[in-house]
Amino acid sequence: MNPFRHGAGTLLVPTIAWITYLFLLVPSLIVIPISFGGPGEMEFPPRTWTLDLYRQFFGDPTWWGSLMQSLKVAVLVMILTTVIGVPAAYVLQRSRVPGRTIFNGLAMGPLLVPVIVLALGLYLQMAPYGLLNNSLTVVLAHTMLAMPFMLISVGAALRHLDPAYEQVALIMGAGKMRIFFRVVLPQLRSGIMAGALFAFLISLDEVVISYFITGPDTETLPVKMYSALRWEVSPVIAAVSTLLTVISLAFALGVMWLERRDKAH
Amino acid sequence: MQVTQDMTQTAPASNMISVRGLGRRYGSFTALDALDLDVKRGEFVTLLGPSGSGKSTLLNLISGMVEASEGTIRIDGRDATHLPTNQRGLGMVFQNYALMPHMTVFENIAFPLQVRKVPKPEIKARVRDVLKLIQLENVADRKPRQLSGGQQQRISLARCIVYRPSIILMDEPLGALDKKLREDMQLEIKRLHAELGVTLIYVTHDQEEALAMSDRIVLMRKGRIEQQGAPEEMYFRPDTLFTADFLGSSNLFQGQIDSQAGCLVTPQGRLPLPAARSGAPANGQAVLMLRPESMRLVPEDQASGGLTGTMADSIVLGSFVRHFISLPGGKRAIVQEPSGPSHPRPVRGATVGLAWAPDSARLLPTDPDFPNL
Repeated sequence: MNPFRHGAGTLLVPTIAWITYLFLLVPSLIVIPISFGGPGEMEFPPRTWTLDLYRQFFGDPTWWGSLMQSLKVAVLVMILTTVIGVPAAYVLQRSRVPGRTIFNGLAMGPLLVPVIVLALGLYLQMAPYGLLNNSLTVVLAHTMLAMPFMLISVGAALRHLDPAYEQVALIMGAGKMRIFFRVVLPQLRSGIMAGALFAFLISLDEVVISYFITGPDTETLPVKMYSALRWEVSPVIAAVSTLLTVISLAFALGVMWLERRDKAH
Repeated sequence: MQVTQDMTQTAPASNMISVRGLGRRYGSFTALDALDLDVKRGEFVTLLGPSGSGKSTLLNLISGMVEASEGTIRIDGRDATHLPTNQRGLGMVFQNYALMPHMTVFENIAFPLQVRKVPKPEIKARVRDVLKLIQLENVADRKPRQLSGGQQQRISLARCIVYRPSIILMDEPLGALDKKLREDMQLEIKRLHAELGVTLIYVTHDQEEALAMSDRIVLMRKGRIEQQGAPEEMYFRPDTLFTADFLGSSNLFQGQIDSQAGCLVTPQGRLPLPAARSGAPANGQAVLMLRPESMRLVPEDQASGGLTGTMADSIVLGSFVRHFISLPGGKRAIVQEPSGPSHPRPVRGATVGLAWAPDSARLLPTDPDFPNL
């Protein structure tokens, strides 16, 4: 018999659930009201409601410049991860290349190595070649970090794709390229979109590696925030955090909406 | 019949497919064992057998999905043993249809024509013609999932015949459909085969389907051909117990041959032997096979070889009746007779005799896989 069916049980479970949700959400949500407070203060609840902090953010080119840098890097990482990751996942899933398991393991490597170790490694490796403070280096580093997520999500989509589609296309005389682009790729759409979403979000809020390899010209928003927190606790941080949350959320919702529309058709 | 472009140069051979010594092993398991098979141009050949008998392996070897461990495959006179799948000029219909879910019906059928670089106006015309042929002209703009299973399978047939491959392979194409639809589709496939004159290789484990459709049945067992022949031949003149048992239902009696008396001595009676006994042992142990429709119920004293039993049950199946008769030694015989007033049904528990024309029986060698007959 279900012990929650009677008495306090009917209330207990939802209550616990809501407390857990709040516990998870409140720390990220509390900055939103704070970001609408007055300049020079950072308290909850705010004493006055203004947009001063946002004005401060957009009035300072170093702030919104780093936001643009973050967006630029994140979009490039998303594209690069997709272009490299999707064909790689296809090969890893479908071909019988020797050493496939080893390659698969290597591609998943960035998930297993502590980020700080990766960051230090990149720093030591790039410094002698003068590749620090370089946007391309940041893009490549983030792509490496995001790649396992693309491989996992496209790999899962491929495992659910009946090989009969590829077989029948092959029997009908289609070549490998045509099969990949006309038969396989369109059916991986949701897997690719999920992987691209992960890539974008991972790059957008990555701070450890970026902190090591960026410089004044290439600073991303999370790095700038971290530096700002270290030198002075500026209330602008609350506005930046809110913006970053909104961008991530909007992007995630957008991808989910696309996926749902895809399924409805 | 028109064949694909890359096959027009070769002189027409009488055999569309010619397989010699073809084998496929997976580790220590032999899926296909040094098999020989010829398929004539325009023939409808069914590969029949239980799962694991090698019929799908043979089909996959012909399509090139699976690499042969040994032997050769010739397609239309050309050595195709190591030819890539997409250059073999084949068509294939799968059990799960394998229609591209992201393409419309039109795009699905147009796909193989695009592969062949057929000009756009011709693609339109040919897709329209083939949709007319399968009587589904109004679904061109729909997605496959908006169609019923039967419609989807007809679209996958259309996608296959639209590019006029010289050979069409079908892997249990009707397995996912219900009985009524399956019978309609059997007729449809037979009609298309007759109209197009295409060579058809059809894989199934359904013996009724094989009997209904094929020019020739190739019955497979453990990676070898057990027996092959026209449906009637396979049904009425099986060479082995396996064939007799797999195709239709049969009554099997094992016993000792008494060649002087011309009968088989079994626990149930001294059963008369047929005159034709090719392939059967001349003496020793053997098995007598009788189809239910070759036997009839008679009064006890007229029973062939003294074979009598008690009526256990009888069921009416429309135009005929199936009687189940308990025989001595715990055996049970099935007798099929026409139904109707001229054939009164004995009551349950009555003692009846069984009779048959001796030449409608078939004497077969014993088989270790059929121990308790």
